[in-house]
Amino acid sequence: MKRLAFGLLGLVLFLVGCGAPSASSEQNQPVVLRVGWLGFPDTLNPAYAFLTESYTMFDLVYSTLTTEAPNGDYVGSLAEAWTVSPDGLLWTFTLRPNIKWHNGEALTAEQVAWNINTFIQNPDGWVTTSGYVLGFKQARVRDERTVEIELEHPISNMESRLAFLYIVYPEDFKGFSTPEELQNFTNFNPVGSGPFKIKTLDKDQRVILLETNRDYFGGRAKIDQLIYRTFDNSDALIQALRVGDIELAAEVPTSAFQSVKEMKGVTAVSLTGRSLSQLILNSAPEDHDPAPNRNPAITDPAVRLAIATAINKQDLVDVVLQGQGMPGLSVIPPSLGGGFWFNREIKDVEFNLEQANRILEEAGYLKQSDGIRAKDGVRLEFRLQFPSDSSNYPRAADMIATWLGKIGIQATPSAVDPDSLIVATNPNADYDMVIWGWGADPDPDFMLSVLTSAQYVEGGWSDSGYSNPVYDELYAKQQRTLDEKERQKIIWQMQEILLNDRPYIVLWYDNTLQAYRSDRFTGFIQYPAGIDSFQSLMNVEPVK
Amino acid sequence: MRESWLLFWRNLREFWRVFRHNRMGMIGAFLLLSAVLIALFAPFLSPYEPSLVIRDATGRGLTFAPPAVHGPLGTDDAGRDVWTQLVYGARISLLVGLLAGFIAMFIGSLLGILAGYFGGWIDTLIMRVTDVLLVIPDLPLMLVLVATLRQMELKISPLVVLILVIGLLYWTSTARLVRSQVLSIKERQFVARARAIGAGHFHIIRRHILPQLMPLIVANTVLILSTAILIESGLSFLGLGDPTQPSWGTMLNFAFDRNAISNGAWWFYLPPGLAIVWVSLGCVLLGNVLEEMLNPRLTAHHLEGDVRVRPLEGEGAYG
Repeated sequence: MKRLAFGLLGLVLFLVGCGAPSASSEQNQPVVLRVGWLGFPDTLNPAYAFLTESYTMFDLVYSTLTTEAPNGDYVGSLAEAWTVSPDGLLWTFTLRPNIKWHNGEALTAEQVAWNINTFIQNPDGWVTTSGYVLGFKQARVRDERTVEIELEHPISNMESRLAFLYIVYPEDFKGFSTPEELQNFTNFNPVGSGPFKIKTLDKDQRVILLETNRDYFGGRAKIDQLIYRTFDNSDALIQALRVGDIELAAEVPTSAFQSVKEMKGVTAVSLTGRSLSQLILNSAPEDHDPAPNRNPAITDPAVRLAIATAINKQDLVDVVLQGQGMPGLSVIPPSLGGGFWFNREIKDVEFNLEQANRILEEAGYLKQSDGIRAKDGVRLEFRLQFPSDSSNYPRAADMIATWLGKIGIQATPSAVDPDSLIVATNPNADYDMVIWGWGADPDPDFMLSVLTSAQYVEGGWSDSGYSNPVYDELYAKQQRTLDEKERQKIIWQMQEILLNDRPYIVLWYDNTLQAYRSDRFTGFIQYPAGIDSFQSLMNVEPVK
Repeated sequence: MRESWLLFWRNLREFWRVFRHNRMGMIGAFLLLSAVLIALFAPFLSPYEPSLVIRDATGRGLTFAPPAVHGPLGTDDAGRDVWTQLVYGARISLLVGLLAGFIAMFIGSLLGILAGYFGGWIDTLIMRVTDVLLVIPDLPLMLVLVATLRQMELKISPLVVLILVIGLLYWTSTARLVRSQVLSIKERQFVARARAIGAGHFHIIRRHILPQLMPLIVANTVLILSTAILIESGLSFLGLGDPTQPSWGTMLNFAFDRNAISNGAWWFYLPPGLAIVWVSLGCVLLGNVLEEMLNPRLTAHHLEGDVRVRPLEGEGAYG
């Protein structure tokens, strides 16, 4: 019945539209930008959000104290200006005047301080923000436009951290007594202060309609409405772009990029991104609770080296990414900080199947009658899992399994739904190898934190279970090192440690592939955050 | 024993005389046989290994190359020769189909005979289990089972999982068919006679019932084969196959995942699709003809009693 009603409504609108194509009505029509993507946010609650789609929405709906400008610098957003005390322990932020929530109320310094203090005091509830407030002591209101944040120790990446602390409307988030209650709150009707506000969010149709916030402190976007539509498969998404049902494809699958580039009226964009994909090797400590369920051979450094030697990363880039990316090496993508953080001195092992065979042979893994190697009764048979929502990983898994087969390792690829895979990797440690990816923050801190042992707790970011006290110590040290050169040195050292221990074999850095109807809209800003970042969308206008 | 095999051969020759004049049957046999031959001689039909990446002059993988650029059927998204994938895929598709089909046929026949012959609580038990399995939709159940089994740390390959799941779940229709046939056969005179002179259950089943059932089972097996291949393709298309040993369904899965349609790469998704149609059409044509020719219910006028039940000569031989 519902479907039918929709159909009729659509027909009526269509008829009305046909009947009155006068110039004046066109002028009054809202400017709508329709975005197509493949995912859908499972929650809009910044306390417990793990999907990229959720963060896309946070950027549109919420504001932060600072934000990353397209040139990579951190600039004020809610904050107009800020100072830091000489010892680095006290940051003072001056808010812009006349900031309003979407409901018309004024956004106050008390509310900002409440946010920061809540993140600090309730890390069990505010799981996904907790990492950004580590080392924060408390926030205080000095006057109606000034907030002070006191730190326990100097923090090197303060400005980039604040860009991830979405300031939420406190009334929506009070009244949860347990962390679970807070985390289960989906917040699908958020009150924010960002450039767009959510008008309707239809979970069943998977459509989100946003309206421009006319009172946005940073100026009003040039479009009136923004519609996000979820497509079940990428071919349908590409077709929608081709026929003009959507104007922006927020994600173009690599295998379709070439065909999108050849479309008329469409501009395809390939941006050096901040994302990477990696082969995760189960590195959870033996005494982890629950006990790791894995083939013990996966923790053998020789096996890890052999696996790394048997993977042709250039082939993966050429085939899986259709050339739109580059071979991976470190967990810090080379694009961060313009290449400042990426350790240029470390070298990858070269792809060489004979060498890989030799490594295993010398480590005592001998070929059995069925061609699979074994040592002391431990056969080199591994599960090779990947999340089922990616079109790149099945092909990558297939290629990797084929290479490993040539060195006497049997890897059995299988797709697993992402939620189960989260639990399997952390906290259950029930896997051998998993192919997955990360979108890195502009600052290296986040990617480095993913491999600290402190993150290997339920709800934490670690999936490898990697635990190395030396690494953990260096991580804490780089957080406090204000001198950029010094910090760079530590971060380079950490990358070297990871390359030797191989909790991850970083497979590739993929470009961000997007496309838009350039015959209808213009003004997209091309930078690593993507042409669908909120700064870019605020700048978009119809072609005259 | 030897006598009944001689009889079997004689019947086979007789059957072939009639069969070769049946056009549909011959077409079906040709379709199926050609696929089997292609599968058997795959290494002779292609100069490449299925996992070999075709490279251009610069050493880069030649992806989505149309047939005009490479080989008879171009390359897929990974730069692999589609024709090679197709002929080697025939091995996997047919192997899974055949083995799963035989397992299903075996279980179905066994349970059908047991239920039909012994009746009573054995019949009730087997038939209730059959009913339960019949009620549950096949594909979703197999999907869940295959997906679950693959997550468990079993030391068996994904292909074996596929074969077992299809084989162990797809016997229900055979069981019902065989049971009803056994119910009618066991009431016939020659069975009664055999029982009267003291033949045991096993003897009666083996010497008197099974030969009567064989035609039905053979026809049914060919039909099940087609379904098993289709199910295998379906499950592989959904990503539950073994990507390192690609079948036609796995090829379609990759074609879909890797945007062959947006790329206009018809040479990637049409051949495996047509190959599946080729084989299942062959099975259905052949199966239907076999059933028509061999099933006594469809040929004999059962109102005339049981005298025309084939093989007529058999009765003398057993007597």
